[in-house]
Amino acid sequence: MSFLLPCPHCGPRSVYEFRFGGEVKQRPSPDAPAEDWIRYTYTKANAAAVQREWWYHRSGCRRWLLALRNTVTNEILETNFPTDSPTNGEQYPK
Amino acid sequence: MGITFEFNGRRFEAAPNDTVASALYRAGVRIFSRSFKYHRPRGLLCLAGKCPNCLMNVDGQPNVRACTTVVRQGMRVRHQNAYPSLEHDLLSAVQHLDWLMPVGWYYKALTRPQVWHRVEPFIRQVAGLGVPPSAGLPSPDYEHVHMHVEVAVIGGGPAGLRAALELGRAGVQVLLIDDQPALGGHLRYQKNPSVPLVDLINSLHALASVKVIEGASCFGLYEGNLLGVLQPSPHSMAVERLVHVRVERIVVATGTYETPLVFPNNDLVGVMLSTAVQRLIRLHGIVPGKRAVIVAGGGRGQEVADDLRELGVTVVATVAPEAVMEAVGGRRIKGLRTREGNFECDLVVICGHRVPDAGLLAQAGARMDWDATRGAFVPVDLPPHVEAFGQVAGESLVATAPLPPPEPTFNKRAFICLCADVTSQDLRDAIGEGFDHIETLKRYTTATMGPCQGKMCQLNTIGICARETQRSMAATGMTTARPPNPSVTLGALAGARHHPIRRTPLHYCHGELGAVWMDMGDWKRPRYYQTPAPSTERHCVEGEYRAVRERVGLIDVGTLGKLDVQGRDCGALLDFVYSNRLSDLRPGRVRYSVLCDEAGIMLDDGTISRLADDHYFITTTTGNLDFVQQWLEWWLIGTGWDVHITNVTGLAAVNLAGPQARPVLGKLTDCDFSSKAFPYMSCRQVEVAGVPVLLLRIGFVGETGWEMHFPGEWGEYLWKKLLEAGKEFDIRPFGVEAQRLLRLEKRHVIVGVDTDALTNPLEADMSWVAKMDKPDFIGKAALARLRVREPQQKLVGFVMQGDTVPEDGAAILVHGKLAGRVTSVRYSPINHKAVGLAWVSAEAEKADDAIRVRVNGRLEAARITREAFYDPEGVRLRM
Repeated sequence: MSFLLPCPHCGPRSVYEFRFGGEVKQRPSPDAPAEDWIRYTYTKANAAAVQREWWYHRSGCRRWLLALRNTVTNEILETNFPTDSPTNGEQYPK
Repeated sequence: MGITFEFNGRRFEAAPNDTVASALYRAGVRIFSRSFKYHRPRGLLCLAGKCPNCLMNVDGQPNVRACTTVVRQGMRVRHQNAYPSLEHDLLSAVQHLDWLMPVGWYYKALTRPQVWHRVEPFIRQVAGLGVPPSAGLPSPDYEHVHMHVEVAVIGGGPAGLRAALELGRAGVQVLLIDDQPALGGHLRYQKNPSVPLVDLINSLHALASVKVIEGASCFGLYEGNLLGVLQPSPHSMAVERLVHVRVERIVVATGTYETPLVFPNNDLVGVMLSTAVQRLIRLHGIVPGKRAVIVAGGGRGQEVADDLRELGVTVVATVAPEAVMEAVGGRRIKGLRTREGNFECDLVVICGHRVPDAGLLAQAGARMDWDATRGAFVPVDLPPHVEAFGQVAGESLVATAPLPPPEPTFNKRAFICLCADVTSQDLRDAIGEGFDHIETLKRYTTATMGPCQGKMCQLNTIGICARETQRSMAATGMTTARPPNPSVTLGALAGARHHPIRRTPLHYCHGELGAVWMDMGDWKRPRYYQTPAPSTERHCVEGEYRAVRERVGLIDVGTLGKLDVQGRDCGALLDFVYSNRLSDLRPGRVRYSVLCDEAGIMLDDGTISRLADDHYFITTTTGNLDFVQQWLEWWLIGTGWDVHITNVTGLAAVNLAGPQARPVLGKLTDCDFSSKAFPYMSCRQVEVAGVPVLLLRIGFVGETGWEMHFPGEWGEYLWKKLLEAGKEFDIRPFGVEAQRLLRLEKRHVIVGVDTDALTNPLEADMSWVAKMDKPDFIGKAALARLRVREPQQKLVGFVMQGDTVPEDGAAILVHGKLAGRVTSVRYSPINHKAVGLAWVSAEAEKADDAIRVRVNGRLEAARITREAFYDPEGVRLRM
């Protein structure tokens, strides 16, 4: 693993500068059934496809970012910072 | 004055530009190594750093290629894998036992553990390559360097030089990487080069945009256009440098290398590739022998024959590869038997196969297609950012010898893989046993898996596999190319040996007080302080312990993670992330909490102090600071909450604890420290000895005490002031060991020591810390599920019944069955017994006093306790 990840703030950087934060998931509401919570807590999609992921630029700007990554080729299609106060009703599921 | 170096204790002279191999050859050395399995003598073969025949120990470093290592003054070179010497190797007797050791014999003969354990030491002694340097000896220095260029050109031969020149002239930033001691490739040693080499090199050096690394091998092409380059002796302070080269485009111009032909005894000393002979003659001015036979197809031997004749070497004959029957000789070659007659000689020159050096291209994803007219696998379908240029792409290649090769007269001593002594008979046997796919054949016989990584043997292995299975070369195909190739030392991969050290602002005070250090992550912490009078660690620790319990002690806790959290919505975030309730904490109060993940597992713990309505101060455990900060910031995303988190770990922090802590502080400040004005679990910002300090009245060690956080610049000043003020109370600084004992008596857990990656607060007997009536917090759903079930295991306290002290991690048994393990245990001076924390199964917890702890192989009785071992009511904390 030695691909470059374009940080929206610092530009293309070695992936070793980042911490992987896992695939983006939707956290269930507190009163959701136990099955939803168990799926959210213990399972991953582990898709061989393009997926949305959390990354943290540990050795750079120290910010969390979102990346669209092809898990087969490690191609990064897009990265962006989540906005602090979503105005368009956008949610950042964890 | 020539350069001198040592070989096996003898002094040798070297001419300018000599490599270790050329200097030794000039001095008459012919055997350069003994083979891996049979200890057959091996001499120079490729002289290009591609074959395994000249691996030697150079200045303590094993398996160095003598033929590409330029001699430096005072170098110490030793042979490998031969006893007592290369000329007379007693271990070569192994050859006569070859009938005992057919291919894969160890898979069949050494299957029983008893047999293997008996035989293994002998095999290790006899087989193998160099010996790793002994542990503990000073090892040389390695370094890593990162480079970024537009185009990397790999290979400094005519193609690489031309490519670099063309790109450089166009203003492109170029890095030219060549693995030979000097640029030029085959132009350096060919009789009539088509282009004058000096001109090429001069024009290259005139270009500012071209940078050159000579004598460095590119061992891998990794994802993201990252090249791994190994550069030996970059300067006098390092033996090797690993260069990480990030590029936009790669031009591979590695050319071809020559590989041997297959006939019996083709490994004898004196059988040499034609390019090696030319290198000896033209690069080093060495006359390689007296009587030479040339093996060449299609008139290819003419050039080397002329070279030899010019030097007065008798060229006895030139024979076609198909005509060769076998080489004859013992420690040296004596002659060549062919269908055209038998020739006496001391040199056999092989005009071998030309193999494109395309490993990097295959790694990049190129397909290797068999091209019969070129007699080679040629790279096709290159990815867009990679180009092949020159002979490596198949340019001007012509097949030199038939492939698949004809059946040799005698298969047993016709060597394919020189690295692991695999003969064509071995390959036939393996194929006969069913390993007829090139990939399984490789794994079973280990052909192509040695130090040369298949450079010398891959083509012949494919050839024999094709012949024996009656498939074509194309259908047989190549094995997968993987980095690193050539091999890289572990030292180079590990890099420089400077580990970062973190020191608290009080670090140098501890040194003056006799601190005995321990490592905690990157931090250095005093384990205990050695008293001026000589005494044991246990004695020192007990002295520190008694100071805290009876008088007063001071410890540096600067390694704690410290976060300053400010903003309107701090309470909301902390309530959501921590398990305890923190929004209703009054300013000036402190609360303990744990941090769980969504599975309810304890990730960290610490104290949370509320300094003002919109201002909190959090401490984390030493190793978890970064994680906790990232965790808080992550959960903050998308909430729109007004919260700002700042890492303030640079603050100094100490803990002053003990029954006399109050009067010590009273000497340095006017603040009222009575329990009424400053109760347990509260905090104040006051000046102590003129220093602004945040004081937290908390009790990790179980005595009245204050944790003090203050600017690091005043660290040493305040530390010394506190010790001075405590002098009349006989204050002692205490270290981590005493702190661990003190907290253990209070049954305070250390996250990561007494808990592991599966511990939840319910099992840790800390369910009070999870406020299940909060509407939501991380881990609540999991804890709610867990609460209705009986925990499988529990963290309990135990007291040993006898006088023994178990070790941390000791096993716990109930009725002879394994039922748990000790996480922390220490001798408790107050209880006069060892006390500790342990994980036990739910049944064992009910067994109470029937548990047994393994101590030095014996089982000792212990009793489970529900209470703290010291001051269970917590009276002393509140005094």
